[in-house]
Amino acid sequence: MSVLTLQNISKSYGKIQALSNLSFEIPQGCVFGVLGPNGSGKTTLLSIILDVLKADSGNFLWFGQPGSPEQRKKIGSLLETPNFYHYLSAVNNLKITNSISGRGDYRAIDAVLQKVKLFERKDSRFSSYSLGMKQRLAIAAALLGNPKVLVLDEPTNGLDPVGIAEIRELIIELSKNGHTIIMASHLLDEVEKVCTHVAIIKKGSLLTTGAVEDVLADEDTIEISAADIAALATVMKGYVNSIKVLQDGNFLQVSMPKGTARLEDVNNYCFSKGIVLNHLVFKKKRLEAKFFELTNN
Amino acid sequence: MNSPITNGDQQLYSMAQIIRTEWLKIKKYPAFWWVMGITALTYPGVNAIFVYEYYDLTEKRSAAGQVVKALLGNPFALPECWKTVAYFSSIFVFIPAIVIIMLITNEYTYKTNRQNIIDGWSRKTFMTGKLVDVLILSAIVTALYAVVALIIGIYNTTSATTGKWQMVYYIGLFALQTFSQLSLAFMVGLLVRKSFIALAIFTFYFIMLEPIAVNVIRVKLHSNIGRFFPLQVSHKLIPRPAFIGRLDEKDYQASLEAVKYHVGYTLVLIVLTWAFCFWVNNRRDL
Repeated sequence: MSVLTLQNISKSYGKIQALSNLSFEIPQGCVFGVLGPNGSGKTTLLSIILDVLKADSGNFLWFGQPGSPEQRKKIGSLLETPNFYHYLSAVNNLKITNSISGRGDYRAIDAVLQKVKLFERKDSRFSSYSLGMKQRLAIAAALLGNPKVLVLDEPTNGLDPVGIAEIRELIIELSKNGHTIIMASHLLDEVEKVCTHVAIIKKGSLLTTGAVEDVLADEDTIEISAADIAALATVMKGYVNSIKVLQDGNFLQVSMPKGTARLEDVNNYCFSKGIVLNHLVFKKKRLEAKFFELTNN
Repeated sequence: MNSPITNGDQQLYSMAQIIRTEWLKIKKYPAFWWVMGITALTYPGVNAIFVYEYYDLTEKRSAAGQVVKALLGNPFALPECWKTVAYFSSIFVFIPAIVIIMLITNEYTYKTNRQNIIDGWSRKTFMTGKLVDVLILSAIVTALYAVVALIIGIYNTTSATTGKWQMVYYIGLFALQTFSQLSLAFMVGLLVRKSFIALAIFTFYFIMLEPIAVNVIRVKLHSNIGRFFPLQVSHKLIPRPAFIGRLDEKDYQASLEAVKYHVGYTLVLIVLTWAFCFWVNNRRDL
């Protein structure tokens, strides 16, 4: 069952087309990354599904039903920036979250503040917090009452490396417990570590979506090297399965159709052409490479 | 056996939840308590100044003092006191208006209006919360006025006076005027979103622009159309005190006669103001 279904969502700001006919589904229990360069429409998309922005056309369904306040109460959300009353403490801000959403109770407030390591400063005013602490409080608000669906827009913004690792572990833990997490990010390394599914958007249009391994594994890549790298490049361009041969320093990246890269065959081919390889590995494609490949076109 | 939850129960619960949430926003907001403190001092303070001025004038044994006393009567004795205190107090509605403007513009400054929606309120619920704020503040200000009027009235009235409660309906008129004018202040805050600009616009309009415009229209154009200006509509609910009215008795009687019509106009204006606020909030992106 889909947690969220987007159907032909479009949104413009004057002449700027922020989203254009966006349609995809987010399966239950996944960690879904919405990726895109700055200004690609990630936050606009999340704002629409949280009813902060109105779509010009198209619609979205949460659990098969049109979006409603009652559904939003069950979703823990962090959108763009931590939005809290500056004159109130962390605890009093979370009491408002609790009062509006009905998620959690006063005991749960202490628990989430401990989880994000803000408990010691729970009575300090929000205005006295650092950027990282504000972000932690926003994550605590999203986690309040243990909602089954979380929408997190750039959740690691402003966090130090330890904080980033903690949030990563938290997302993995929540995912293992059956939560569905929808996160927008441009930190591809982080996304690759935690996401099971992705959608990549650019200038408001969907470039690709699906399970991470499916999105990445559209072709095989091997990395090879030899003493005469120029001769090796010439030879590999003649290899039957080669799609693309790129030189990266003393190495060649050779792309082949998915499932056709067999290292023994490559080694034999090169040897038969009089070249002895000194390096031969199968390269797993990185999300970053795929992202650049898609968004630079 | 548990009784079934009715639609009425649900609405009552929702309203209690809205009030509780708004209280959580306000109760630890220092600026709110500062301005409320200033309001609590201003209303009795201003009226006390007028009372002392009155005694200062009328207790003089000179001929002039006695003429003034005969002319003014005692505007601070019951029942006239209800109107006199309402009139002087209504001049200072811009002080609680500061609180109203801050409560709505804060939501935009901190982007908490969008967080309230994200957390599960509808836009209608958010605006209902603000409507509750304005209603509660109007009630507090009205209660303050009523207490001040009652204390001043009792202090200045002899026990033999009859009809002490005749003009107690001014509490209702004051409440209506305060709610109408605070609603307009709220609308300015909602539209402008920036606290200082909204405060400047409302205060300038309240103190300068509308009074000048109304008087220019009245004197230069010989038109009474100014009474339909947004603040004038409810301003006319509380006519000048009788002693000022004696300067132009005909005009004073006309202002008393106009009150019942302005009750209707004010109610219409309040409905239009809030319908517009709900409409704006429902349409615009957050």
